[in-house]
Amino acid sequence: MNRLKLIGILALAVPGLGLLAFGPKGPKPAPADVTVVEYWEKWTGSEGEAIQQTVDDFNNTVGKEKHIFVRCLSTSGIVQKTMVATAGGVPPDIAGLWESGLAQAAAFDALTPLDDLAAAHGITADKYKKVFWDECHYKGKLYALISTPYCYALYYNKKIFRENADKLRAAGCDPDRPPRTIEELDRYAVALDERNPDGSILRTGYLPTEPGWDLSFWPYNFGGFWWDAKDKKFTFTDPHVVKCFDWMQSYSKRLGKDAVSAFRSGQGNYDSPQNSFLVGHTAMVSQGTFFAHIIEHQAPTLDYAVAPLPVASPELAGTTSCTADVLVIPKGARHPKEAFEFIAWLNTRGPMEKLCNAHCKISPLADVSDDFLKHHSNPYIKVFEDVAASPNAHGSPSIETLPNVGDELANFMTELMQLRTTAADGLAVVQRRMEQKYKDFEAKQALHVKP
Amino acid sequence: MNGEHKNLLKGLAFISPWMIGFCLFMAVPIGLSLYFSFCDFSNTSRALPPVYIGLGNYRELMGDEIFWQCVRNTIYYAALVLPLGLIFALGAAILLNGKIFGQSVYRTIIFLPSLVPAVAAAMLWLWLLNDQLGLINLALHKIGISDPPSWLSDPNWSMPALVLMSLWGVGNTVVIYLAGLQDVPRELYEAADIDGATPARKIWHVTLPCISPVIFFNLIMGIIGTLQAFTQMKLIMSNDGQGPQRSTYLYAVYLYDNAFKYMRMGYASAMAWLLLLAILLLTAIAAWSSKKWVHYGGK
Repeated sequence: MNRLKLIGILALAVPGLGLLAFGPKGPKPAPADVTVVEYWEKWTGSEGEAIQQTVDDFNNTVGKEKHIFVRCLSTSGIVQKTMVATAGGVPPDIAGLWESGLAQAAAFDALTPLDDLAAAHGITADKYKKVFWDECHYKGKLYALISTPYCYALYYNKKIFRENADKLRAAGCDPDRPPRTIEELDRYAVALDERNPDGSILRTGYLPTEPGWDLSFWPYNFGGFWWDAKDKKFTFTDPHVVKCFDWMQSYSKRLGKDAVSAFRSGQGNYDSPQNSFLVGHTAMVSQGTFFAHIIEHQAPTLDYAVAPLPVASPELAGTTSCTADVLVIPKGARHPKEAFEFIAWLNTRGPMEKLCNAHCKISPLADVSDDFLKHHSNPYIKVFEDVAASPNAHGSPSIETLPNVGDELANFMTELMQLRTTAADGLAVVQRRMEQKYKDFEAKQALHVKP
Repeated sequence: MNGEHKNLLKGLAFISPWMIGFCLFMAVPIGLSLYFSFCDFSNTSRALPPVYIGLGNYRELMGDEIFWQCVRNTIYYAALVLPLGLIFALGAAILLNGKIFGQSVYRTIIFLPSLVPAVAAAMLWLWLLNDQLGLINLALHKIGISDPPSWLSDPNWSMPALVLMSLWGVGNTVVIYLAGLQDVPRELYEAADIDGATPARKIWHVTLPCISPVIFFNLIMGIIGTLQAFTQMKLIMSNDGQGPQRSTYLYAVYLYDNAFKYMRMGYASAMAWLLLLAILLLTAIAAWSSKKWVHYGGK
């Protein structure tokens, strides 16, 4: 063997051996004589680490006592993979899904009802904020418990408010407080808008579509909604809903649809330093509890505060939309009892508050400790806790065809903001399509009912 | 057992890993998907087995306005990408086939994009096509176009944006063309030179007939590839791949959504079989037409 060949072999062998010795390791081996609970979770990054820490805490305490070992596996495309694995008869024992998909998964018989297990652990409605307890149910049955939830409120830039105090006063607004009504929000927004010399938007006071994640919930702020939960019917043409989407479109009309489009495409991702709120290109945004975490990392000197979302009339004060990550036990899971031991443990105050704080989210539990409020990573956590506990807090509607609704609304919103349709006309189309989808769904469900 | 049988058994034993794999992971799922296409099936639970509904899924597809929008979008996409891709790749291959300085460097540059993973390429194009900060609009500004397109948010421009992105990855096709071009007999060009043929006539009368089997191969692969286009659209376009006003909602993306988002595996299976039939039909038409324009050296 000549020297060149030897060097070549060594050049390949040394990194290979190094990788074997110091490279990524497989999952932690489970101790002997324990029941291994397989837990699939969607989170990665710092949120994933916090969940792994929670799992480790369980394994080192209750898990050790009860001979249960939870093995957490970070899984992308979790909904699809969980459903396919469940259909194949090899589901995980626990899956971390989103509450918005519960009705669909439960309707397709992919989840284990948890009522008996919850009752055995003394888990009852009074321990939770109503909105989250309700979100875990489908047709009266409990199918999930919460892991980390959040709700929306209005983040506003205090520095921009101060610097434009005169403009705000001239518009009849108080620069020392945020808007409380929709009418006020519009006046604040107009006063804080600023354009470049070429007419393009430099700053928007407020823009419904920035980032616009909770747009489908905004009809609640106008006193209506597009789903009648009692009669299980879509109500997209309800006057409150139409009024809400008319209001959203008014921003596109006022600022110019092309100017809005150009402005939005120039902003960075929500979690990047170029986020429009973080760089002062938007003075007010409707954002989730976790947004404070992003501000802390990307713009720690930002002078901001948080208030409840503006509403159309005083009796709607405290209106917010609440969404959550949930833990479910898929149908056919091998160790449902042991899996529920972990879920029940997480749904006690200590572990829950630790995880929710790490994810910068609110607690789903009715009883929140002072320590949680005092040391939370979101300095305005009390605002979020209060609105989530208010009677005007609303969760995702329990609709089996919700993914279709989400897609249809997203397309309608694009047309609406591009001024290609009116709210009334566009919502009539959405109503017709979604009614049809729901009828089709019900007809198909009837095929599976055994006589 | 005679020697011939023994040899047959040995042969079968050697190919059995592939045969078993093919049957288990291809033939059986394909057969099942045909059955599912006649069933209502969600593929979410063992407690919800497929229920036979005859042609119900196919009938529903005929009345599904989003399905037809996806069909129109896919035809539009294929009609743009297929001829442009073939012409662009052939042009690049002819240029790269000439004896020019740095030939291998240019070949590498053309081929490199097809080595970039689809996700990375999609992210790259997301920035290139950005309205405000993208290099493409910056270049258009420089040449005096003051109001360049909103590539990803304007429904009129979203499909051309996808086409542009697809043309970037023609490296594989170029390589196949190059192999074909190098097989064209030199003496045919020499004969054309003696007859006083111009470069354009040499391409038309010598090069294209000689590489027509390669063009035919690329055409078939292109038909299959464009009708099944999925990854980049799903990644780059707003509304989970549907694009503004569903302008880039392609057939394969809607199929995936039905199977894994709306949990309608039966409906998605029916879509898959219709797609297979469409591809078979188009391939058959291409094969039938090839008798008139594809020339094989052996004949």
